[in-house]
Amino acid sequence: MIFVTGPLFAGKQEYIMEALGWDESDFETFAVRDVQDLAADLKTDQLPALADRLAEKKVVIATEIGGGVVPVDPADRRNRESAGRLACLLAERADTVIRVCCGLPRFLKGREVFQGFDEDP
Amino acid sequence: MFTLVIGGSASGKSDYAERHVLSLKGDGPRIYIATMEPFGEEAQARIARHHAMRRDRGFETIECYRKAGTVRLPKGCNVLLEDLGNLAANELFGADFSLTDNGTNPCTDDICALLSERITADIDSLRSQCSHLTIVTNEVFSGGKEYEGETLTYLRLLAALNRKLAARADLVVEVVCGLPDVLKGPKTL
Repeated sequence: MIFVTGPLFAGKQEYIMEALGWDESDFETFAVRDVQDLAADLKTDQLPALADRLAEKKVVIATEIGGGVVPVDPADRRNRESAGRLACLLAERADTVIRVCCGLPRFLKGREVFQGFDEDP
Repeated sequence: MFTLVIGGSASGKSDYAERHVLSLKGDGPRIYIATMEPFGEEAQARIARHHAMRRDRGFETIECYRKAGTVRLPKGCNVLLEDLGNLAANELFGADFSLTDNGTNPCTDDICALLSERITADIDSLRSQCSHLTIVTNEVFSGGKEYEGETLTYLRLLAALNRKLAARADLVVEVVCGLPDVLKGPKTL
């Protein structure tokens, strides 16, 4: 599984689709995005099962949401925490982790695996 | 050479960008394009101080808050534009159309598309006039998605500009704790 993370509107989906030569229907079949939203309202001990399930996809995309001031609202705080924990669990399970910023990839883990994937999507 | 320097608030991106510009070869004049609109006496005093500081480092300062494409530059110059976040805000919020129709609608998309193309064309004009252009931009996209209306439009505009300019750039550097992380270009600086 390739885990793609990065700031909001950084071009994460566009980048990975182009890198893998995917069209919209490939993306719908093999990928899932905005997984930080799936972590909302889950308890910490529920996150590994979610990560396991997501890791069956070829591509998982999350938006970084943990870079701002700690939210005032307790539910927002919990959701932001869950999103960050989930991202760590996904990165553990991923063969490749890519951070996309300004549409540009930065490989945080397993570039070689990605290149194999690139040749044979 | 076209360089995009991105970083969070107080990441050291300005200082890095300035050192980068000073390291670039060529004997053309150094120009600093300042995009922050001076509101009030305090801002004006700070801007005057920055002008003097940069003059000591060999920069001539040009103030430009909107329509950067209208700036005329001397031949062979080495330009530092700071920063894109201000320029985008001035263009968006000083623009002559209403953003009040409830945020996420086609109108917002149109505004982003229109303005990002216009501003990119302005930057292309600057690039065509100088030897080196370095632009400082802002990483303000990691603090969540719960934005609305004008703020969301602004984020989308700035993100679109960052992507477009990064695609054009020879060198894209993200500055973290004052240290450069090269996202595009030669890995050894």
